[in-house]
Amino acid sequence: MRGAVATSGRRLGALLGIALRSTALPLAGLVAAFLAGCASQAPPAPVVTAPAIPPDALVGKWGFAAYHRDTDRPRTIKEAKSQCNRPYVIAKGPSGGVMMNMADQAELSELVLKAGPDGKTYLGPPGDAGTADDRVVLDVDPNSFTTVWVDPDNAHRYGTSVYERCGKRA
Amino acid sequence: MTVRASFFGRAAAAALAAAVFLPGLFAAAQQIDMNVVDQPGYQPKPEEEQLSGAYEKQEVFFRTNEAPGTIIIDTKQRFLYLVQPDNRALRYGIGVGRDGFQWSGLQKISRKQEWPDWRPPPEMIERQPYLPRFMAGGPGNPMGARALYLGQTIYRIHGTNQPQTIGHAISSGCFRLVNDDVTDLYGRVPIGTKVIIRQAVAL
Repeated sequence: MRGAVATSGRRLGALLGIALRSTALPLAGLVAAFLAGCASQAPPAPVVTAPAIPPDALVGKWGFAAYHRDTDRPRTIKEAKSQCNRPYVIAKGPSGGVMMNMADQAELSELVLKAGPDGKTYLGPPGDAGTADDRVVLDVDPNSFTTVWVDPDNAHRYGTSVYERCGKRA
Repeated sequence: MTVRASFFGRAAAAALAAAVFLPGLFAAAQQIDMNVVDQPGYQPKPEEEQLSGAYEKQEVFFRTNEAPGTIIIDTKQRFLYLVQPDNRALRYGIGVGRDGFQWSGLQKISRKQEWPDWRPPPEMIERQPYLPRFMAGGPGNPMGARALYLGQTIYRIHGTNQPQTIGHAISSGCFRLVNDDVTDLYGRVPIGTKVIIRQAVAL
């Protein structure tokens, strides 16, 4: 009887040893990884990048034209410049954005410029960049800018929009 | 920007049979303006552009003193006739100016343009301020595939990307055909063609 107890005690010890050895290595790895992580640097915080384009760059009166085929871009720019007799007016919004129309909306909304994770600048309602209500802002200079809707249906219908500054140009 | 023409499907289906045999009666009964806004960039499916019944292009009996090659537009019935010899004419279904935008007169085709550009009229910009003031021509352009300019007026015979508007008083005074029809007409008529616009044509 005593012998049987001694045998089972040895078995238990052996099993515990195996169990400890099998968990020791992963645990040690985790501890090492944790210590190494702490030793190097904290995890990066989400980066909020300011858009490269200030809202003031869009404020003003613009000749507004659109095209679907890239071959039409040069003459569309020319046409936009000639549309200043009925300009598209962009005013500054009360919250620092710009007052513009969303797709198919006759009423103005305050839109903001947003830096997207893809490096593009988006124009749309406050919130995440690159959503369906946004448009990508391209080719900005003091006298012009270009936009393309993110939403494929809007992009398909409205094509590429060109805005050319009316009045005194830089 | 959606087409609000829900009535059109049921009403058109119910009247289609009568339209085939009584086109004048059918067209005269269509005095309800469609509440439709332009859909720049919209490209209709081929089956949408396929007209049927009275508004499908067809050769018809047509007695007139006008010479073959003359265009006669009947704004009331919403047909465009291209006069042919021997008391015949090619008849196309058209969309016309809505109330207050219909007119009559005598013009000549002063210019022809493939895939014309589109400049929404001021009242349209007022209603839809988000529209570009100029849209380069191409598929999806509200001016459609071809335009025939009428004299020195601001009016044209042109195509459309809204084939469901054919047979309706919808435009700002221009006359619109489906793209296949305006392309066909464009190929048949030269600059200088006489165009007569009438409220009603006496056959």
